[in-house]
Amino acid sequence: MTNQQQLQHLYWRAGFGPRPQDIAANPNPRKALRQLLRDAAEYQPLAGPRIQAAEMQAMTPVPTPDLRQDPQAPALKKGELTSEQRKEQNRQIREAFYTMNTGWLERMATSPAQLREKMTFFWHGHFACRVRRPAAALQLNNTIRQLALGKFSDLLLAVSKEPAMLQFLNNQQNRKQRPNENFAREVMELFTIGRGHYAEQDVKEAARAFTGWSYDAQGQFVFRERQHDAGPKIFLGRTGNFGGEDILRIILEQPHTAEFITTKLYRFFVNDAPNPAHIQPLAQAFFRSGYDISDLVERLFTADWFYDAANVGTRIKSPIELLAGIKRTLGVELEDKKPLIVFQKALGQTLFEPPNVAGWAGGRSWIDSSTLLFRLQLPQVLLRNAEISIALKEDENDLDPQQTKSDRTFRQPVKAKAKLAPLGLLLAKTPEAQQPAALSQFLLQAPIRPENLQLVQQMAQKASAEGRLRTMVTSLLSLPEYQLM
Amino acid sequence: MPTSRRDFLKTSVLASSLLFVPKFLHALDQQGVPQLRNSNGKRLVVVQLGGGNDGLNMVVPFRNDLYYKARPTLGIKEQSGILTLDQDLGFNPHMTQLKGLYDQGLVGVLNSVGYPNPDRSHFRSMDIWQSGSASDQYVTTGWLGRYLDSSCSACQVPYNGLEVDDTLSLAMKGELRKGLALKNPEKFHQVTQNRFLRQVSGEKAGGSGSELDYLYKTLAETASSADYLYQTSKVYKSAITYPNTEFGKNLKTTAELINSGIESRVFYVSLTGFDTHVRQQEQQGKLLGDLSGGLGAFVEDLQKSGQLNDTLILVFSEFGRRVTQNASNGTDHGTANNVLLLGGGLRQKGILNDAPDLLNLDQGDLKYQLDFRSVYATILRDWLGADDQAILGSEFARLSGLV
Repeated sequence: MTNQQQLQHLYWRAGFGPRPQDIAANPNPRKALRQLLRDAAEYQPLAGPRIQAAEMQAMTPVPTPDLRQDPQAPALKKGELTSEQRKEQNRQIREAFYTMNTGWLERMATSPAQLREKMTFFWHGHFACRVRRPAAALQLNNTIRQLALGKFSDLLLAVSKEPAMLQFLNNQQNRKQRPNENFAREVMELFTIGRGHYAEQDVKEAARAFTGWSYDAQGQFVFRERQHDAGPKIFLGRTGNFGGEDILRIILEQPHTAEFITTKLYRFFVNDAPNPAHIQPLAQAFFRSGYDISDLVERLFTADWFYDAANVGTRIKSPIELLAGIKRTLGVELEDKKPLIVFQKALGQTLFEPPNVAGWAGGRSWIDSSTLLFRLQLPQVLLRNAEISIALKEDENDLDPQQTKSDRTFRQPVKAKAKLAPLGLLLAKTPEAQQPAALSQFLLQAPIRPENLQLVQQMAQKASAEGRLRTMVTSLLSLPEYQLM
Repeated sequence: MPTSRRDFLKTSVLASSLLFVPKFLHALDQQGVPQLRNSNGKRLVVVQLGGGNDGLNMVVPFRNDLYYKARPTLGIKEQSGILTLDQDLGFNPHMTQLKGLYDQGLVGVLNSVGYPNPDRSHFRSMDIWQSGSASDQYVTTGWLGRYLDSSCSACQVPYNGLEVDDTLSLAMKGELRKGLALKNPEKFHQVTQNRFLRQVSGEKAGGSGSELDYLYKTLAETASSADYLYQTSKVYKSAITYPNTEFGKNLKTTAELINSGIESRVFYVSLTGFDTHVRQQEQQGKLLGDLSGGLGAFVEDLQKSGQLNDTLILVFSEFGRRVTQNASNGTDHGTANNVLLLGGGLRQKGILNDAPDLLNLDQGDLKYQLDFRSVYATILRDWLGADDQAILGSEFARLSGLV
């Protein structure tokens, strides 16, 4: 494997793809990784949209936890809102999420802190949470971003105390007299140790320990002592008057937790099929380091198997990786950002809207007839301003299930600009006949099929001199090969 | 420079991406169809009512004082034209065609269908209904997708399960097999058509099982299916008048596919907008009229072509509404709800179980008396001849002698 291919692999996995200038500089992968780590050192919060008055009303948390309350419902007093106010409220909430969504996508495409954003994206799917409150969702997102490369123990504790998560997993309703086990169950099943390493009784005992974990009207964590069950509990074989922090600490003392997290990380960064021979040593080191995430990813990206052919160009890009990757590699800018939301929904992954607490399934589940055709049309839309027509489903818009059909239908050319000049520079020294091949080596992580290369060459020959580069790029991005990284 | 859709399709590289479809796809048509002929010929049409349809105002308990007490202005009065089904229950006045089908003995009404620990979030509850999971389980495949996995693993084509829409629902996604979403065969075919396709020759299927092979295989199946569906659907053009609604058009497409002899076993259609927090009567009435009119035409279409006996229609929503009306003449998110079954193959018809118990509520919501997975199990085993237990992951009591 050439140095260029290794570099590209690193930029795709540790970030959202290479830019032409990253490759032109041609550092060795170790040096590039050091730079990625340095660039990721600083934490910059994602800015939030301006929260308006009507929305603030929707943000008021439920003062007396009520099991009947729809956890996704907007306002406690929604019955008192008129239909127009409700509509306006829904519009503002939707707009706020759109702003956060496209703001983050923009950052994925442009931020030098590629590794921090990639890790944030990983944890976004791991600590999957979907709430109707933009401010709470953003706060959780920034907490994750801040701790994304720190100690997993700090991240876990912080996420567990986030109002968004407490609400999403019903810990607001977890009270001494009537425990709600949802948070306790998911924290073990999905966030830390995984199924098979705890018993049903441990869930019940952990739920008791988390009673009273709540939040106030300002979106701050509060411990409501009167709702807390301070009695003795038996959890994973240990006995004590445990509180929530104790439960998390005991979970982290189990090596299975390190293994569970490492496996998930491996599947995200390396290969959908976990290889225990690779994972075991990593998990042990992760445990020994006291759950140091930076240390873990550095070990992973410097492992000799990381650059094995089996791990390069063999992972199906998630919709966000696909979109952010095109934006980053080609400097694509949209005049109106809204279509970026439509693309995400049509492709099956919308930031801030995971399908459930288990996050996105990933891998081959991204691909069906519709999503694949849509993926192959996307380069035309972004690079040739082609029109695309698609009606989104109602359940993909559950913020406002009464959206009309026309609101859910997208049919217009997208006004987008791409910066192809850096690519032209990258190819400047390559003779014209070899440019399609050279370009394919930069844009594709999987080797191009010979007959496809021939077709791209034919397309290039037919194109005008000034349209040639754009034609080649569009063709290559429209290949199944481009779906892989 | 903006281009029209037609120009785009003529000249686009997208189109050319399909020229990368290898030649082996042409063999698929011949392989896929005969395998499907081994089926028992039964098909299922699922109609999803999105947003949480209020079952109590669809199948109205018009003899129950508790109903009118909980809904002083929202309750539907008997004199407003309730379509009486039996002594206690009647259809919403807008459901005239469905009442006609009911009188023909083609409809079964199930009351209070739900699941334990119901979730009142739209997306989560729809997720539960579509995946067929329990409320504390997270399953990434759909119940119909897993049916395709189990019963059609040798089928080469994705059109065994068809969704009439632009995108595919979770319900239709299996581990190995996925359904195919298309708004109509012409549009779908147009997207996959291109003049470069013929240029491709001599490509071999990879067969290594890699992700790249998977992408090519999906692409090949998509193009092949688009071709097949387009050619075949030309066989039958419906002469029935459907309501001029999105839902009506989608049912018409479904009927044309069925009547053209498409061997798909599962069809999926949605009708949305049932989230009636405010001014429910107006909105739900219109939607139930759309539902009734659409299904009326659809059933007539299938009756005429002799396909109705082999067709079962399942109508469901992710939850019902709160029993008590709210301050805005609407209802908030609730729990258990009605499921409708329609078709010529129903062996039991009419009201199939007890009316909702309005006295015995769970904090203002209906308690479920029938788990929706029992309905699924019945359909899977007794109608489609599939292994319900394997598909649903556990055993649910089936409704004996229903289909």
